[in-house]
Amino acid sequence: MIVLGVDVGGTFTDLILADLTKQELTIHKTPSTPANPAIGVVAGLQAICEKAGVTTSQIGGLFHGTTVGTNAMLEHGGSVTGMITNEGFRDVLHIGRHQRPQHYSIMQDLPWQNRPMIRRQHRHTVGGRLDARGEELTPLDEAAVRDAARTLAGQGVEAVLVGFLFSYVNPVHEKRAAEIVQEEMPDAFVTTSSGVAPQFREFERFTTGAMSAFIGPKVRRYITELQKELHDQGLKGELHVMTSSGGVATPEMIAEKPASTLLSGLVAGVRGGAWIGNHAGTDRLITLDIGGTSADIGIVVDGRLAEADTRSASIAGFPVMLPMIDIHTIGAGGGSIAYIDRGGAFRVGPESAGADPGPAAYGKGGDLPTVTDANLVLGRLAPQNFLGGDMTLDVDASRRVIGKLADQLGRSPEETAEGTLTVLNSNMANAIRSRTVQKGIDPREFTLSGFGGAGPLHAAEVAGMLGVQRVLIPPHPGITSAMGLLTADLEYHALRTAFAVKGAIDHTRLTGLFDDMQSELSGIFDRDGVPAEKRRMLREGDLRYVGQGYELKIDFPDGPLDAAALEQVWQAFHDRHRTEYGHAFEGAPIEIVTVKMRGLGEVEKLGTPPEATGSAEASPVGHGQCVFRVEDKLQVFETPYFDRTDLPVGQSMQGPAILLQTDSTTVVPPDWSFEVDRFANVVMTHDGQ
Amino acid sequence: MQTRVDPFLAAVIHGALENIAVEMGHKLMRMSYSSIIRESEDFGAALTDATGRQLCECTMSTPLQSGPIPGYIEGIMRELEARGDVVQPGDVFMHNDAYAGASHGPDVGFAVPIFHQGKLAGFSVTTAHHLDIGALTPGSCGIVDAVDAYAEGLQFKAVRVYDAGKKVEPVWQILRSNIRIADLVVGDMEAQVAAARIGADRYSDLLDKYGLETVTGAYEDLLDYSEKLMRDAIAAIPDGKYNARTYIDGYLDSDDPALKELPIEVTLTIDGSDILVDLTGTAPQTPNKPINMPLVGTVDCAVWLTLRSILLDSDEYGAIPQNSGLTRPISIHAPEGCLANPIFPAPVIARFCPGNAVADTVMKAIAPAVPRQVSAGIGNLRVMAFSGQNASGPWVHMEIMEGAYGGRSGKDGMDAVDTLYANTRNNPVEDIESHLPLRVLNYELRENVAGVGQWRGGIGSIRSFELLEDGAVSVEGDGQRFAPWGFAGGKDGAPAHVELLHADGQKEELPSKIPYRRLAKGDRLVAYGPCGGGYGDPFSRTPEDVLRDVLDGLLEVDAARENYGVAIVDGVRLDAAATEELRAGR
Repeated sequence: MIVLGVDVGGTFTDLILADLTKQELTIHKTPSTPANPAIGVVAGLQAICEKAGVTTSQIGGLFHGTTVGTNAMLEHGGSVTGMITNEGFRDVLHIGRHQRPQHYSIMQDLPWQNRPMIRRQHRHTVGGRLDARGEELTPLDEAAVRDAARTLAGQGVEAVLVGFLFSYVNPVHEKRAAEIVQEEMPDAFVTTSSGVAPQFREFERFTTGAMSAFIGPKVRRYITELQKELHDQGLKGELHVMTSSGGVATPEMIAEKPASTLLSGLVAGVRGGAWIGNHAGTDRLITLDIGGTSADIGIVVDGRLAEADTRSASIAGFPVMLPMIDIHTIGAGGGSIAYIDRGGAFRVGPESAGADPGPAAYGKGGDLPTVTDANLVLGRLAPQNFLGGDMTLDVDASRRVIGKLADQLGRSPEETAEGTLTVLNSNMANAIRSRTVQKGIDPREFTLSGFGGAGPLHAAEVAGMLGVQRVLIPPHPGITSAMGLLTADLEYHALRTAFAVKGAIDHTRLTGLFDDMQSELSGIFDRDGVPAEKRRMLREGDLRYVGQGYELKIDFPDGPLDAAALEQVWQAFHDRHRTEYGHAFEGAPIEIVTVKMRGLGEVEKLGTPPEATGSAEASPVGHGQCVFRVEDKLQVFETPYFDRTDLPVGQSMQGPAILLQTDSTTVVPPDWSFEVDRFANVVMTHDGQ
Repeated sequence: MQTRVDPFLAAVIHGALENIAVEMGHKLMRMSYSSIIRESEDFGAALTDATGRQLCECTMSTPLQSGPIPGYIEGIMRELEARGDVVQPGDVFMHNDAYAGASHGPDVGFAVPIFHQGKLAGFSVTTAHHLDIGALTPGSCGIVDAVDAYAEGLQFKAVRVYDAGKKVEPVWQILRSNIRIADLVVGDMEAQVAAARIGADRYSDLLDKYGLETVTGAYEDLLDYSEKLMRDAIAAIPDGKYNARTYIDGYLDSDDPALKELPIEVTLTIDGSDILVDLTGTAPQTPNKPINMPLVGTVDCAVWLTLRSILLDSDEYGAIPQNSGLTRPISIHAPEGCLANPIFPAPVIARFCPGNAVADTVMKAIAPAVPRQVSAGIGNLRVMAFSGQNASGPWVHMEIMEGAYGGRSGKDGMDAVDTLYANTRNNPVEDIESHLPLRVLNYELRENVAGVGQWRGGIGSIRSFELLEDGAVSVEGDGQRFAPWGFAGGKDGAPAHVELLHADGQKEELPSKIPYRRLAKGDRLVAYGPCGGGYGDPFSRTPEDVLRDVLDGLLEVDAARENYGVAIVDGVRLDAAATEELRAGR
């Protein structure tokens, strides 16, 4: 079988075609077409098929990462959206949690007030109310719903959210109102808050529902058009789209739950990193994906991608209550600008020179010192060999801008360049600590995988700051995300609010909730045609001590949930609480807030990576004078440059060294050694391990 | 600028310090039991040096909690010195003395000392607002008639809760027997200790890694850095005196004129890069009513918060570390015995609203000097404490009701939001109704009351609660008599008010302060939040903005014509010609 991964980024669309039988990979990069991303996808599809000598009809599956939904949120470019909600609660979306994002600002904007997804004039209220147990206090005023729908239709609304209080316990009013709205507005995208995120906290749930409605028509339109285009191209295989939780979903599911694609373009990188790590023999991995303006950090614990807890996830300043991989993005990349701020402190980023004009080294008119310029001044980039020789870097320009900054600081250019990297690396190390050390995870037991264009330049030094001893650079750092697309299974989630307290558990009800979720997910897998032996159902729950407001996710055992089975769960919760926060309230009552089921449907995907061929012996393609900080002193090292594709397999070599390849450059500092493993990964090891 | 540590290493250490404070807050918030900490985020977390100078604070914590932390440490150290006592490794101190650094009694601080090479090197501190502190009536808000400091609940003056690593059981027993809903409160206190210990461990690691001298040098640089930014911003303001006066409600239903309609007066003297903030002219202290404000812990925080939010607005400057350097150019004077500098044992527990009024008055005073950096008058907040007793025991719930900002240069005011030194979160309706015998009947914006201006004031909320069983309420609010001030041609906003609708249909207007009052099942409290003042001439507001408010149901067509000179046809369309005529004919 042949599968194709297509990852559409802001600048480039990356494609990777894998012949699973022959174990062959073909790679292609083509410019993205933001106005209609499908154009770039099709162009890439044609080009890569030609390159690989296959026809589109031979492709058995296309796996896609998209930023259509993400961009609609970031650029506030969704549809005109309406809402129907409870009488008295028209402004839940507007008041939010009545908190300001910034403590110390008079002039700040509140995203939900300045950039509302649903304007007040499009928010209508109707009679009908449930209590906290889901029992009806006032019946739904169906006539009012119908009137409101007609008004919304007249207001030119394309998408409607139905959001009522306590719908997560009992969705009956929401479902009925949605039916009425759909009757009145047959073409509208209609969604319910409980259908999107059946969890308590109305502002967050309504916001997530609003997001789904706001981006829904756009995402649905895109996927439908893409499907049609691909079909016209002769593609017979299925289209699968990556979701924020790191799995893939069918176009039907995406059309139903468009908000599940919010991180589609981002998670594939972590997925790709995890897959490479797995084959390199590690299932505890920190992924560091560095591009021009930002660094995305992901954590893989015991082979599982760490998830954001429901209370921490947000996009464009709005909270999101959906299953998402925990990706921590900070403004640190090759284009990050080094400067002295108005208080006199030295800073690197988050402002970036971007791709245009880019770093001074690009010679496109950039005159601010960037991280790329610092790398060049220190000899860590080969001017003639950048992007496989497609671009020549201007060393003099870099020296000039770094030199100017150095004069302002009263330091040497080398110190300034090295300081720039240290500050950037330290920002990334702190970001990694916030996802490891602060959650009771010791990063020293992890491998760090650096990819993206700039990841391999910084990975070893960031690892050094964290005490991480092993660094892994995949064979094609620039297309790790596209590769990740080919490693995911179908993944769907179900969730029920349980509110069950230890000591007063109705075991039958609890088991019933899981059974109910299992049949919900089975229904979807039936529709997708996933055979029973390819399905896996994993049970989870969000637990807290009674009275707390934040939950921790705990795995639940299969089978009937009797007292003995739950004892395991309680103990796991105490342990997890102690690990994560450094303290457990042994003896305090525990509450199961929500129960969840994650359904995995296996699809054909990448097996093992292709074996590296390698050369008999390493011979440098050149040498440079590289500056490194060793024993707290800046020192110049005569450093060999190697062509990465021309290194022997399994032969350990000592740093410093610079490894060149088309889509990235790997820096091996002096106190690190490196070798190419059988899957063509570069593995760096800190000396003294 | 001359620095002690090289700028690169300094940046690394500053990042590490921030990280520690964030971790402390994150863990405290997640571990804690009561909604006032976990939902409202009414907590603080910070590291200080051995003398109490603040090095960093948690970005999630509320300013009125982190701000006073240096004062807590100074207070603890002074108390220990007076006792002839010294700090030892493994100690944990509990402190809430409003006359020695704390903001008020319910904000209990826990301080863990950090030792490096055998010497005291600093403190890791968490503060949090506790639901109950053993005062005369249930809850720690809405205690508006305590006669003196002793009536406000338990007082802790540098009390050891761990002595050289050993838990001091008798103290914890006293807490458990004197605090209502002790499980919640003591659980939160344990969470505070745990979070402070994590901060201490991390800071200790940092000292081990870089050495005390380097870390000290780096944060001294950081203090200088913050100070320089503040001085540069102050120096840009013309020298001179800037004065403003506002009034708080006090006790509107009182017969005693000394207890109501009380002035808050602020005179700012700007001299180069220094500011003197003088509160002379502020009303005398109220000896038997707890609306007095500790000078250290409340008034100072209100002043600092306001000045830095205006002069170093983080929206413009980015995140500037909150530390003691920022406050060096600012000196504060309040005559002894006034509301802003009470004499012990004057009660202070209800200092929240007057303190926010001080913050608003500072803004009003400085507004003419920096008109593009301020908002018009803000609407003050009110706190309601609901309580009761049922089969599962006593219950207490505190709800902070939002205010609103005034209009700003180029922007309308923020609607229905916490203001100035308060920045907590509301409790979800679905959380309240799932756990308490309360029903929330509505939560919306008020209509047709916004402060009129080119940039209209932020709009207040309306929120109503119904008691589902017999219980009680206490209210601690202000801003019901005086409307938030308009600025630069904008009109005043609207004051707040609170109604009690009895189950029998009777309606009662309530003053802004209501001591513990029993309510019957079915009684409803309706809180109308204040609306901020307008900014700029309303006839300069764009007709499109006026129309948008009309379409959004926030402004009536007649009011659009009268207040803004904008003519709207059929409730949905601008009449440009008529608008021009209206505006020209003014």
